[in-house]
Amino acid sequence: MGKQTTEMLKGTLEGIVLAILAVSPAYGYEITARLRDEGFSDIAEGTVYALLVRIEQRGLVDVEKVPSEKGPPRKVYTINAQGGAYLDEFWRTWSFLAERIEQLHHRIERTNEEGE
Amino acid sequence: MAAKWYELITGSLDDKKAYRRYKARIAALPEPYGTAAKAFERYFMYNGGITDGDSAVMLTMLNDFADLWERAAVDQTPVEDIVGDDPVEFAEAFAAAYAGKRWIDKERNRLTETIQNLEGKEER
Repeated sequence: MGKQTTEMLKGTLEGIVLAILAVSPAYGYEITARLRDEGFSDIAEGTVYALLVRIEQRGLVDVEKVPSEKGPPRKVYTINAQGGAYLDEFWRTWSFLAERIEQLHHRIERTNEEGE
Repeated sequence: MAAKWYELITGSLDDKKAYRRYKARIAALPEPYGTAAKAFERYFMYNGGITDGDSAVMLTMLNDFADLWERAAVDQTPVEDIVGDDPVEFAEAFAAAYAGKRWIDKERNRLTETIQNLEGKEER
């Protein structure tokens, strides 16, 4: 993943992870795996882990520790009401941004074409 | 449990025990996870800047950190998959998740307040 992709993803990854959790609860590795399936191929597990910690501290998810056969218990994350509200806002913001940027893109392309 | 008087000088004994437990967990990690974890820990100590007063935040962070590496060791996840291609960025992102109580926050608040008060004076 290029540097620019990483930079752009930073602001949206919380929303993306909450969107994934809105489908079903998951633990860290599952979330990373699903992100990779969605085409975010080089995403680091640690980045997702840090993000999960952050959204947990902000009260957007509920966490349950589930024992695993080996190693420490797995923390399973479930989106809660506050997280749901955050996700709604995320989608509104996303649509707004995507629409504006697309308009800007078209306007610049048109201007360039007229200029030729 | 009420803190004993000598803990004022030595710091909380419970915290010390928790810290030692954390250290033992990191020491028990197989390679290459042990070396990786210690390298990040060193970076956190320099850069973490977590308030002395808030050892609880620090301990939560360190325990989460130990969880992460123990999990990785058990699953045999390559270190690269955990930290990505920029270890510094990973370290910053990880520490930032606990940044609610960083010393810099005091200065951030001070800056914000100063500027807000300025604006108040400008209203005519």
